[in-house]
Parts: sequence; C-alpha cells; structure tokens
Amino acid sequence: MLKVAIVGCGKIADAHASQIQRIRDCEIVAVCDREPLMAKQLCDRFPIKQHFTDLEELLRKAQPHVVHITTPPEGHFELARVCLEHGANVYIEKPFTVYANQAQKLIDLAENKGLRLTAGHNYQFSPVARRMRELVKSGYLGGSVVHIESHYGYNLADPSYARALLGDKQHWVRRLPGKLLQNIISHGIARIAEFLTTDAPHVIAYGFVSPVLKSIGENDIIDELRVIISEEERTTAYFTFSSQMKPSIHEFRVYGSQNGLVLDDHHDILLKLRGNKYKSFADKFVPPAQFAKQHVGNLLTNLRLFLGNDFHMDSGMKYLMESFYSSIQEGAPVPIPYREILLTTRIMEEVFEQLETNRSQAQLSYQVPQLRCE
Amino acid sequence: MNDSTISAANSEAGFPPKPSSSLEQERSFIIAPDEQILVTGAAGFIGSRVVASLFERGFHNLVCFGRPSGGLAHLKEIANAHPGAQMQLITGNLLSRRDCEAASKGAKLIIHLAAGTGEKSFPDAFMNSVVTTRNLLDASLQSGQLRRFVLVSSFSVYTNCGKPQGRLLEESCPVEEHGDLRGEAYCFAKYKQEQLLTEYSRNFGIPYVVVRPGSVYGPKRQAIVGRVGIDSFGLFLHMGGANPIPLTYVDNCADAIVLAGLVRGVDGEIFNIVDDDLPSSRQFLRCYKKNVRGFKSIYVPHAVSYALCYLWEKYSQWSEGQLPPAFNRRRWHAYWKQTSYSNGKLKTRLGWRPRVPTAEGLQRFFESCRQGAKSA
Repeated sequence: MLKVAIVGCGKIADAHASQIQRIRDCEIVAVCDREPLMAKQLCDRFPIKQHFTDLEELLRKAQPHVVHITTPPEGHFELARVCLEHGANVYIEKPFTVYANQAQKLIDLAENKGLRLTAGHNYQFSPVARRMRELVKSGYLGGSVVHIESHYGYNLADPSYARALLGDKQHWVRRLPGKLLQNIISHGIARIAEFLTTDAPHVIAYGFVSPVLKSIGENDIIDELRVIISEEERTTAYFTFSSQMKPSIHEFRVYGSQNGLVLDDHHDILLKLRGNKYKSFADKFVPPAQFAKQHVGNLLTNLRLFLGNDFHMDSGMKYLMESFYSSIQEGAPVPIPYREILLTTRIMEEVFEQLETNRSQAQLSYQVPQLRCE
Repeated sequence: MNDSTISAANSEAGFPPKPSSSLEQERSFIIAPDEQILVTGAAGFIGSRVVASLFERGFHNLVCFGRPSGGLAHLKEIANAHPGAQMQLITGNLLSRRDCEAASKGAKLIIHLAAGTGEKSFPDAFMNSVVTTRNLLDASLQSGQLRRFVLVSSFSVYTNCGKPQGRLLEESCPVEEHGDLRGEAYCFAKYKQEQLLTEYSRNFGIPYVVVRPGSVYGPKRQAIVGRVGIDSFGLFLHMGGANPIPLTYVDNCADAIVLAGLVRGVDGEIFNIVDDDLPSSRQFLRCYKKNVRGFKSIYVPHAVSYALCYLWEKYSQWSEGQLPPAFNRRRWHAYWKQTSYSNGKLKTRLGWRPRVPTAEGLQRFFESCRQGAKSA
C-alpha cells in the first residue's frame, strides 16, 4: 500500500484527493495545512485519518511514500525540499517552482536521494493528449517538429479564481514574479517544452494589460501574452495567452515536415492535418469529408470513454499520478522527464524577466517627458 | 485594509418606509442607539438593507465591512438618507486577523453576513465562511465588548428528512451534517459555520443568535430560485409543482436579522425567516412568465424528480464521480420535497412583521427582472 500525504488543503487539493481515492493500492494517510480548520475540513470529507499544521510532524508521524504539494507556488520549493530530505517522493502542483534554479536544486536533491519528482502538468495526460503523443511517436508528423502553436484562453469572469484574484489586492498570485501568468501558463508552455530538443531556446515575450482590466483600475495583472520560441533556426513555437480572445480556446497545434495535428483540450478533439493535396476540385471536397469523418471519430471515442467510465474531468491527473506512483514502486521512468520540467520553468522565467524589463522601460520612457516638463 | 467615515446629510429619497416598532420593543433592545454595530458583508444584497434597517431604527453608529471589490460606495447613499447617521466603511478581508480586529474593535453587536458561496468549491466556501467566522469570533473575544453575534445562515442547512412535525419545517428540525454528500459546498460551509459558533459559545460564552433566511428575493437579484426548478439545455425543468416557496423579501429579511441582533432574551436561539402568504412554485412560475418573459418549461412530477435524483446519485457513485453528485436524494429532500414553513417564532419572539407583503414584493421583483431583461 502506497502511503500518500497532501500538503495544502485548498481547492486543488480536492481534485488530488478525489483522484488518489480512485487509484488502487494507495491511501491518503495525512494532510497538512497551516490553517488547522482547512486541514480538518479535508479530513471531514475524505477518508483521511490524520491532519497536521506542521509538515515535519506529518513526515515523522505519517511517514508517507509520496507527498502531493498543493499550496500556492511560493512555498513549493521549500516544502518539496523538506519532503525530499525526509525521504518522500514529491508531486508538485504547477507551477513546479517560482524560479528555474529552484527546480534544478530539487531535481538534483531527488537524484542524490534516489527519489522521484513530478510536476502537475496533468493536461498532458488526458486521453486526447495521450492519443496525440502516440501519433507523434509513430512518426505521423514525418520527421522532426517544424512548428508548434499553443493557445491558452482564460476567463476573467471565472468566479472560482479570477474574480477572487481581481477583488483581492493581497492575493498570493500578486506576489509571484509573473503574477497571474505564472500560476496559469505552465500547462501551455509544458506542452511546447515536450517537443523542444535543446535546453536554452531563444524566447521573445510581449505582454500587456487588457483594456478590460485597465477599465477597472487593474494595471498590474498582465492578461495578454504572446511568446515566440525558437531553437537553432529549426523548431519554432508560438504561445498565446489571452483573457479577451473568444472563443476562449485551449488548443495545441504541432506541425512536422509532412503532417500536422490539432488538439482541442476543451472538447477533447484530436484532428489530423494531412500534408498531401488532392487534384483540382477534389481538394475542395475530399478534405472536408475527411474532417467530418474525424469529428465523428472523436465523438465516438469520447462516447466510448464516457460509457467505459474513463472520461472524468481530471482523468489526466489520475493517469499522471498512476504513472508517477508506478515509477516509484516499479522503477519505471518518471512520467514527465526532468528536462521538460526544467525547460518549462526556464522558458517561464525568461518570459517574466522580459515582461518586467519591458515594463520598467515603458515606465522610464513615460517618466522622462514628465521630468522635462518640470 | 482601508476605512473611511461618513456623516449623513439630510435626505429622504428612495428608501422603504420605516418598519413598525413599538416604544416598548425598543426599550427591550440589548444595545443603545449610539453603541457600535459591525455589519460584515454590508455591501451585499441583504447587507445593504440591514444597514438601512438599522439606521431606520435609530442605530446610527455603524461599522460596515466589505471586500475592496464589494462596491461599498452605495452605502454612502444609504447613510446620507438618514440624518445623524455615522458610518465607518472598512474594506478588507476577513481572512486577515488584523482586519477582523480592526473591524470588531468596540463593536457591541456583530451582524455577520459575509460568506463564501464557493460556487462548486468546498474549500473556497469553507474558507470564506468558516475560517473568516473563526477570525471574527477571535477578534471579538479579544475586544471583550460583544453583547451578541448574529450569524446569518441559510435554509440550506436543513436536511428536510426525519422531521418531527411531518411536512412542517421549523427551527428544531434536523440539519444536514453531510453537505458534502449533498454535493453542495454552501450547505457544508454553513453547517460548519453554525457548528463553530456554537462551539465558541460553549467554550467562551459568546452570546449569539442564528438566523436562517429562506430564498431571499428582491430587486437586483433576478434569478429564479432553484426550489422552483432548473434551467438547463434551453428548457426549464419545473420541479417545485405545488410546493410553497420559502420566499422572504430582502427588506423583510433585513428587518428580521436586525431584530435578531437587538431584541433582548433570545440568546442561543435560531430563527427561520420566511414571509407570509407564500406562493406555490407553480404560482410563482406562472406569474414570472406573465410579468417578465415567456419561456418553455416542463413540469417534472415529484416521483419522477425523486427517481431521477436517485439514478444520478447512484451513477455518480458507481462512476467514481465521472458525473459529480449534483443531483441526489439529499438535495431532493432539501429543495423539492413538499414542505410547509412557519414564521411563528420570528413573530412571537422578535415581534417581526413583514413590511412588504408578498404580492407587492413579487411585483417589485418582476419589475426589476423586466428592467434587467431590457438593459441586457
């Protein structure tokens, strides 16, 4: 029986507890939160026997094999370090760490201790994402990846998160270097990192506060971001984060030298984009029919998964947990290679540094004429 | 945290008539008009009416607490409408102990309306209802001047199963101890909030009153309450049928909350808040369609709705939550089982009378819905 503990008993901890419950041969032995009431409420709703307000006490008394860290990101590094020092494997919710050097230190520590780490990039393990990965592995793209596009739409009217953030000037998200972006974009960036081959791609970031946020006096939260990533003039990627673009899509496109693939996360749709052309008017009629067939195929796949009771909203999280647990118990490879985790944090850090630099320069150029007037 | 103090100018415009309250009743209040009252959630739908009701009764030393995003500005209009009113506006977060201490300092009466609905998140609802209440209770203990803590809870805490009085739902009826099994974060949080308050009362002697409003309605809240039915997939499923809907017009509800805070000799009591002359679900829906807008609805008989809730619940369990337990038998009992309601305790113990009759309240509500539909 694998003993699991959860640190941080907020909203995402519920999703973790629900999915851990569905996995065979594992048990949530304890939870921890600095706020004792929050720790207790999780125990009241799930079959968990112990709750703590001190992580070290939890590690000593409950001795979990795995700790899931579901706190705000500021605490990820230190909490994970303590868990590793006590001999526990660690699943860290996204974003893995606030800074890239913290990610490197955790990975080094885990490797030295013979322990395992993973990041909560669960969207990469949804049924449709796994189908896409299989197709890429089978060579469908026809050679190496040429270009990637990752779109991440965000709804600012979301009552569960965005409204709370906008209404609270002390919200923890505001203390992150990348603020809202840092807490959200890991999913979209990690998708890109999976298909990059070098460790230090060139990154160009441009971000701004949308007119909608400015109109409510919110000038600190960047909610529109465009990023260009390139490596050695071989593979390029665009990343788009937008709160204003409608429809608010979660879409990933990957193009090879022969074919491409489109993954629609919202609707669990995977489409093949064939590189070949048909002659004359056949090119106007055959591809639409092929797309129609693919859409019907996606519908049937989704129905089959639902009827087979394998289409939960967090099924990607369960798959990631199962893969991580089997890497611990059976020595299988970790589900997310450490190189990808590091690359994701590096790209994000580079994006936030550029945004901060651009912001500082913009403020400076705004202040100069004012000084002249004086 | 931020605060500002407002003194009222003379103005009378735009507020409901003063509630009837006898001199004898006013003498039996636990605090004097110049003593400090803290209202949390003051900018909200009910909170702003509570503030108005307190001013109308001559209580003119109010501290109004709200979130920075809560739009406290309209409270200034309320204060300006009452000569001599003193109102301190404090913006902050009840999750901050420091904000709670600042807000509750000197308060003789706390009317605690602020709560988290949490939408579908249990931790959010819990944190913004229970943790905040704990902070406020701790702060009031530190202050040491509190004479009563009024917790505004909800009808949603009742299980509506195993009631001693058959169909009648009254204050002594059992509450839902497993709001999580009902799949309802708000119910879970409200039950825990009440539980925490009674623990504090037992352990530290905090005097309290709990009020449980039914479905609060009025201008600016335009949705049809879930007890009538559910709007999904473009078709309204009418679930309530002949059930009376436990409505309370927002001004009537606010008066009841204020009286629960003021009237002597009711510490430790619970009061349900519902109006007189409650319409049935069917009557409400018919009037809504006639007065606001027409739409397609289909009546789901009670036996059928119960069976559907049962099937949904079983499927949710079997599938390990592939469909969340949004519909289940506990929820059916709480919202769609035929039930009658009483406001007898409210009238006899607090001397409450609804200042807005249900017929007039519904007309105002429908008018507001019409205006909302036009501006949408």
